[in-house]
Amino acid sequence: MANPPAQAAGIHAGLSLADARATLPDILSEEIDRDADAKALTALAAWMVRFSPLVALDGQDGLILETTGCDHLFGGEAGLAAALSARLAAAGYGHAIAVAGTPGAAHALARTEATQAVPVILPMGNERMGLKEVPVRGLRLTDTALTLLRRFGLTRIGQLYGIDRKALARRFHSREAAEMVCLRLDQALGARAEPFAPFRVPPDHAARLPCPEPLADTAGVTEGLARLTEELCRTLSGHGLGAHGFAFHAFRSDGEVSTIRVNAARPVRTPAHILRLFREKIDRIDPGFGIDLLLLEALRTAPMETGSRPLAGDIAPVEVDEAALAALADRINARLGDGAVSVIQPLAHHPPDAAEARQPFAGQLPDSPTAPVSLPGLRPLRMFNHPERVDVIAEVPDGPPLRFVWRRVVRRVVRADGPERIAPEWWTFLPTADGISRILPRTRDYYRIEDADGRRYWVFREGLYHDGRGSPPEWFVQGLFA
Amino acid sequence: MSIATLKARGLLRTVQAAPSQPIAFPFGLGERGVHEVAEAAYGDRAAATGFVLTAAQRGRKGVWLWVCQAGIARDLGHVPEAALREMSGGHRPRLSIHTRHGADALWAVEEAVVSGAVAHVVAEVEAADFTATRRLTLASEKHGVPVTLLLPYACDGATAAATRWRLAPRPSAPNPHDPHAPGYPRFRAVLERCRAAPDLAGRTYDLEWNDETLSLGLVSGMAAGPAAPRPAAGGGIVHRKAG
Repeated sequence: MANPPAQAAGIHAGLSLADARATLPDILSEEIDRDADAKALTALAAWMVRFSPLVALDGQDGLILETTGCDHLFGGEAGLAAALSARLAAAGYGHAIAVAGTPGAAHALARTEATQAVPVILPMGNERMGLKEVPVRGLRLTDTALTLLRRFGLTRIGQLYGIDRKALARRFHSREAAEMVCLRLDQALGARAEPFAPFRVPPDHAARLPCPEPLADTAGVTEGLARLTEELCRTLSGHGLGAHGFAFHAFRSDGEVSTIRVNAARPVRTPAHILRLFREKIDRIDPGFGIDLLLLEALRTAPMETGSRPLAGDIAPVEVDEAALAALADRINARLGDGAVSVIQPLAHHPPDAAEARQPFAGQLPDSPTAPVSLPGLRPLRMFNHPERVDVIAEVPDGPPLRFVWRRVVRRVVRADGPERIAPEWWTFLPTADGISRILPRTRDYYRIEDADGRRYWVFREGLYHDGRGSPPEWFVQGLFA
Repeated sequence: MSIATLKARGLLRTVQAAPSQPIAFPFGLGERGVHEVAEAAYGDRAAATGFVLTAAQRGRKGVWLWVCQAGIARDLGHVPEAALREMSGGHRPRLSIHTRHGADALWAVEEAVVSGAVAHVVAEVEAADFTATRRLTLASEKHGVPVTLLLPYACDGATAAATRWRLAPRPSAPNPHDPHAPGYPRFRAVLERCRAAPDLAGRTYDLEWNDETLSLGLVSGMAAGPAAPRPAAGGGIVHRKAG
């Protein structure tokens, strides 16, 4: 890359640094930072959403906007290109814009014919004519392919139109390279379809609010958000949908965009509830020099069932109002972070520490288990997340402890019950198909014990004596009984 | 001036008085108002939890919300679903919230009370001062959702809670099937303060939880002493054969 004064002195991309220094001794050079470029391009792509919901990255230095149905908002394709150009120039980006019927044609024109001052607009269906005089380097080909084409004297795209494709493949030595030339040519001309991969999936429903005067404070943003929420909820209501999440984008006039998101446990479309979730986060939007476009998107929409409320609590068919619970969970998650509200799901496992799992609350309470896991009184009321190792004196090796030290206090055992032997589930430790085998844990003997103060513990001895596992068994406290 | 005239002028209006706390055991725990259940000493949290679950069974049916500061769950363990179901007399759906800070936990409790979506809120927090308990009391009276605070042994001082209980485990009841095994769990619950009946403060309840009949019973003073199993030779305990 070279800036205009350097280009005026005859320095252009592709020149070696030594040659450039020879031409212009006091030239400044800097290493290219591809990562930073990619990051800036992605940010710019996010900001382009204000022109079209479908934006894709095009290589390292380009963006493709699918403008079908968007251009009339800006007064036609010329108006769109002019608005885009003005925005980019104001933000200090050098650019070249081309509008064409296919991504390939637009790519070629933007890199060859278009300049910052004069965007190129090729009407739909005129690709064949419009690309005739365009250099082949606009065709997204590899350097070797371009070199070969230049050697054959094929420098204009128009020269490729009438060429014998089989002959081309023979000359290229490699079928793939020849195929690629044909593919790119066909894509540019619209003969073959080109998949469009937007860098983020467009939402099903969105509402946008352009601000005639840039907003500079949170109060204005809040008001705009309230209007957008009303509008979006009306749309969702018309479609019988609710959304599991909402994303709110505030586009700043200087090319930045700040986004906040909220999630809901079950589909919602109540404006008051959504606004309440956003209220916790709206401070994170930095108005900067002014926000000129607000966009609210409904993410992960789903059909929503609405029912009438019971007339009174005591004649309600169910005791649990899951919608109210989900609303409560949303508010708490919005403030304390996603996953703060959880439910405990019973799992079909024998080891007590694997018998249940904490899961984020997704609007659904766990089903009531059909059968109790054990007889009453055999499971502790408080269970430690990790069993705590204790030093134990037992009268006989395979009996319950007599004394043990837990949390630095010696506890004398007066009553004990057990053991309840819980073996590991060997079937979960079978070697897998890819040869990874996990070590089977040792068998545990659990005891319910009570100390002289009346405190009741659930302790276990991990392993048996002479079980061939090397070390002698160790004792742990797993939980406390009421 | 008649009452009708006063009412018409807006000088007199009927207000709904907050329902008074019942003055019988468990003094509204789990039914209405804010109650504190504290440990008598470090490590008595299991007894305090057991007391809350067993004494608060008469409350409204519905979802329980269990709010816990993360440090407490790490130190004193969590309450597994199986034990919760067993001690609270049947399946009680439960939502859990884990927070890092006590202020967040108390905020979540208040949010839940105001929403009215849950039937009972149990919060395990490091501390709750007068302001926090007063806020919770007002919210709880207005929305009819009881709140129980499970507090560590170090809590004291004035709060706005309706009652404060102090819980310690007691040696369990004699096990009729095996004298060397623990029997039904027993707790000693001391009513440290009670707003509805200040003269009852200091009263001690020796309680026994029967996990077969699912009932919480009072143990008479005689039986409440340590149940002494027949001492075995050597003064130690006789160990049962494994298996």
